[in-house]
Amino acid sequence: MVLLLVQVVVMVALTPLLVGVMRQVRSRLEGRAGAGILQPWRDLRKLFAKEPLRAPGISWVQAAGPVVLVTSGLLLCALIPLVGTVASPLLTDDLFVVVGVLLVGTVALALVGLDAGSAFGGMGSSRHMTIAALVEPTVLVAVYALSVPIGSSALSRIVNARIEAPASVAAPVSLLAMVALAIAVMAETSRMPVDNPSTHLELTMVHEAMVLESSGRDLAWLELGSWLRLGALLGLIGTLTLPWGMAVEVAPVPALVGVVTLAVRLAVLGALLATLEVFLAKLRLFRVPELLAGSFVLALLAVTASYLTVTV
Amino acid sequence: MTDTGVRIQLALLALAVVVALLAPVHRRALLSGLVVAGIGIAGVLTGWLALTGHAGRLTIPVALPFGPVTLSPAPLGGFFMLVIGAVGAVCAVYSVGYVHGPAASRTSWVALAVFLTAMQLVAASADVVAFLLAWELMALSSTVLVLTEHAHRATVRSATLWYAAMTQLSFFLVLLGFAVLSAEAGSTQFADLAASHVDSAASNLAFVALLLGFAAKAGIVPLHVWLPRAHPEAPSHVSALMSAAMVKLGVYGAVLVTTQLLVSASTWRSLLVLGVGTLSAVYGILQASVASDIKRLLAFSTTENIGLMFLAIGASSLLRPYGSTDVADTALVACLLLVMAHAAFKTTLFLGAGSILRATGERDLDLLGGLVSRMPVTSATFGIGALGAAALPLTAGFVAEWVLLQSLIHGGGTQNRILAITMPVAVGAVALTAGLALMTFVKAYGIAFLARPRSEGASQAQESPTSMRVGLVVAAASVLGLGLVPGLSVSVASRALGLGDAAAAGSGGIDLVGLGATLHPGPLLLLALVLVVPVVVVSVAAARRRPRRDVDLAWGSGGVRVSPRMQYTATSYAEPLSRIFDDSLRPERDVVVTHSSEARYLVERIQYRQRLSDVFESRLYLPVIGVIERVGAAAKNLQNGKINFYLAYSFVAFLVVLMVVTL
Amino acid sequence: MSDQLFAQAIGMCAAVLLLSAVLLVWRRAQAAALPLMSLQGLALASLVAVLGIQAGSRELLELAALVLVFKAVGLPLVLVRSSQGEQGGAPLINTATSLIAMAGLTAVAYVVSAPLSALGSGPTVQAIPVGIALVLYGFLLLVTGRHAIVQLVGFLVIDNGTSAVAFLSSGGVPVIVELGVVLDVLLVILILYVLTGRIRDEFGATDLDDLTELHD
Repeated sequence: MVLLLVQVVVMVALTPLLVGVMRQVRSRLEGRAGAGILQPWRDLRKLFAKEPLRAPGISWVQAAGPVVLVTSGLLLCALIPLVGTVASPLLTDDLFVVVGVLLVGTVALALVGLDAGSAFGGMGSSRHMTIAALVEPTVLVAVYALSVPIGSSALSRIVNARIEAPASVAAPVSLLAMVALAIAVMAETSRMPVDNPSTHLELTMVHEAMVLESSGRDLAWLELGSWLRLGALLGLIGTLTLPWGMAVEVAPVPALVGVVTLAVRLAVLGALLATLEVFLAKLRLFRVPELLAGSFVLALLAVTASYLTVTV
Repeated sequence: MTDTGVRIQLALLALAVVVALLAPVHRRALLSGLVVAGIGIAGVLTGWLALTGHAGRLTIPVALPFGPVTLSPAPLGGFFMLVIGAVGAVCAVYSVGYVHGPAASRTSWVALAVFLTAMQLVAASADVVAFLLAWELMALSSTVLVLTEHAHRATVRSATLWYAAMTQLSFFLVLLGFAVLSAEAGSTQFADLAASHVDSAASNLAFVALLLGFAAKAGIVPLHVWLPRAHPEAPSHVSALMSAAMVKLGVYGAVLVTTQLLVSASTWRSLLVLGVGTLSAVYGILQASVASDIKRLLAFSTTENIGLMFLAIGASSLLRPYGSTDVADTALVACLLLVMAHAAFKTTLFLGAGSILRATGERDLDLLGGLVSRMPVTSATFGIGALGAAALPLTAGFVAEWVLLQSLIHGGGTQNRILAITMPVAVGAVALTAGLALMTFVKAYGIAFLARPRSEGASQAQESPTSMRVGLVVAAASVLGLGLVPGLSVSVASRALGLGDAAAAGSGGIDLVGLGATLHPGPLLLLALVLVVPVVVVSVAAARRRPRRDVDLAWGSGGVRVSPRMQYTATSYAEPLSRIFDDSLRPERDVVVTHSSEARYLVERIQYRQRLSDVFESRLYLPVIGVIERVGAAAKNLQNGKINFYLAYSFVAFLVVLMVVTL
Repeated sequence: MSDQLFAQAIGMCAAVLLLSAVLLVWRRAQAAALPLMSLQGLALASLVAVLGIQAGSRELLELAALVLVFKAVGLPLVLVRSSQGEQGGAPLINTATSLIAMAGLTAVAYVVSAPLSALGSGPTVQAIPVGIALVLYGFLLLVTGRHAIVQLVGFLVIDNGTSAVAFLSSGGVPVIVELGVVLDVLLVILILYVLTGRIRDEFGATDLDDLTELHD
């Protein structure tokens, strides 16, 4: 339980820095000076100090939706093994539960977009939910592929098995599943090539359109919630691909080691993702299903292969 | 013991008929509603008695060519009695405040009471004759109920025609299947049918006939065409009963056939059930996601959930000979959990839709909006129902889907090619339906309740009366309750299947022992509440310093675009999806551009028309109906008016009969 | 009476029944219908009488008298009154074809009565196919007649045939039953008599080709 709260606090501190790192890497590669790694924290501070505006027709969803999004993000950080893999007996870290919590946040964001009562909010919400609907088969089948060698979908057990047998990380089945999961994560967190997080043209927006009408602390929560989701999912990929350094028991030193390795993993993956974004163009909306179908096929192949090859 | 329960239900039915016919008009709804609710509660108690092992036997000597009729619910039947009784009680309470016009007539109340009792009797039957009699009674009373508002809308008559035809088709197929089985076994008692061994050709015929008959009643593709037509046209409490209770009897029949009456290890049967289930699930939710009539959306969502139940049944019978029995049993438990969850959230959703219809007069999502502040109870309960339908955590739908997914992912293991391909495809299909369901219900809730009203009716909406609110709250509470304490529902489902109390865990969670998977929603909720506290504290602190400010204008890209017509509608929300799934949905699109009279380059008006019809109806049913009509028209030529021809027909028939009898 | 006499008598009656039916189909003329119907009625009555004498039953003899009165005298008279001397038009199929059809129907009658051989092998059983053939000839008359009168004749032939089969296979039916059957037939004939009268009054003739409104 303590480990869970440590994870949450650490992630709240680290994810704005992660986003800062990503933006800085991107700026440098594009030849700009960049705003510095701490800029996201400064943005949050600024937003909390501003008053939120309410247009006519907007309801309590505008205030409640961001809170739900942030809470779901915090819950994700608590459930996913990021710092340590100690499984608590009462709290299931089942991957399907994790996906469910992720979707709660997705729904909250979509409802905030619809509540705005403008064409842009509805458009962003519609595209966002379409992408979420098409990503879900990939995510669940990738989870399935990861669970087959272990015989369970509990994340802690999957990660423990990978720590004990490092060679399994590089198994073809596992690689296929990880690639599929990576594409799904990019779609779910609205990164390139599915969505451009720094666009200003409303008709190209997916995520940004939904938060167009929010301001002040609502926008702060929405931003923080999205960053937490990004951090948690990148952390999940990091845990699955580079599981070393994770704490296997509740004690101060292993926990500290876990936190440091988490920060390193997040930084590495964030920089990688930012570099990729510089060289990728955003896909047309109606090309996104092709990409997601491709990732679904990869995940399906991973599962079938894991059944038909001789298992250890 | 259960015979007392059934007797009480029959007595209450008689009372309901008397009350409906004799009560004064201004008291009729209240009294009839209470008595019908009593029938439902009696059903719940009888079902509970059957589940806890207090069996009883009620034999009614029927003075017909049939022998006596036996009503003795097995645990499985008791489970369905419980679910149907609960749904019936909630709908009856709701209908007290809801009925108006033709739905408040004596005929409707009598038909409602008969309908609920007939459904209970189907689940309580222990022999074929009782089953079929109750089935037909249920079909007839529901047809009467669907026809209630025929004087108000022209579409009601054609919907009832489709419904009546498909229902009779299902009855015929079920009759055929049971006739074959009874002939082989020499008895009409279910116990005897289960114990007898039927030879393969007859048993295959019986299986296909029974499966098709129950699939037609349950609304499985391609026999689903009546569902999206009949459920919207019925009054809302009847739609809720039909969707949440009646189609479950099709599932009951399917479970009965595959697990008790015709148990066999043949793969093609399991694959058939699995296949139709998957097809229904995906097709149903696809049509629901592009539907803009709220009741049609809910009807197609029913098809999707029934498809998932059939998928679970098929997976269970596929896994039983290959994998361990634990996994197959878990799949069946998942099916029954889906039954319970669907009953809970579909009732909530249909009752909520009825509340919206009564308040605004609209069924079209494109004309709703802004109801969340005007109808708080309806929006809260509909929201909870939508969460349940989308299978989000802490609701009953999530628990059911979790158990289903666990049973599917633990299913493989042995190096079986069929399993290695079907299980991942099944998981993918379940995931696709889950994703599309998410989108569908976000659309339904968001467009109907949020933003600003898109029509006059929506802007004048008032909250519903007390009895409707009570019904809605009870239904929504059950969606949450079954999701937070799933151990209870899992133990009930295990008892219904005769598996004992193996799967419940402490703190109300689930512990699937054979699979090594656990789920504890309670602690998850607590953790979420713990985490939300700092967020709320910070928000409140910030609100003290910077309160919210009202402004006149929403962001419109620098322009004034505040008309409610500028908002996204349900059709536009689903437009990307309808483009992506163009081949499966085949929408008809029409764009008419009217140019200005002065200059051809200026556009005066653009008209966009889109029509989405059921692909199975236009590609499968209408051609078949066309062929039948042509054959009928050709046969009319036989009727040329000359007496000699008519006499010749009877002569030929006489000769044929003589020859057949001789040979 | 002796067995040989009995067999000959039965055979004679059966032959006369058959002959009268063939002549009816061949001639088609209503003018010849009266004597032929009377002949058929007479043959049927004598059949019943022979059976009665052989079995020594008074009931059967009473029945024979009844049959004689009704079928040999009464019904043909009503028939004449209905037709009122009208000459029928050409039949729907020509005579040669109808005679070939009769041959075919006779074969059918013999095939159909094959299971009835289980009843025994006496002369009565061997005469049953004749009764069945009579029924089938009656149907043929019904189907191919152009006039309402011809159809009346066909109906009466069917009735004669069924009575013959009943008497031959079971050795007689109770008086009540036969009385009931005869009264039914009488009722039908009377109704048809009235009907043909009205049709003639209305349309001037009873040609069925003009009466084709009975369809959708």
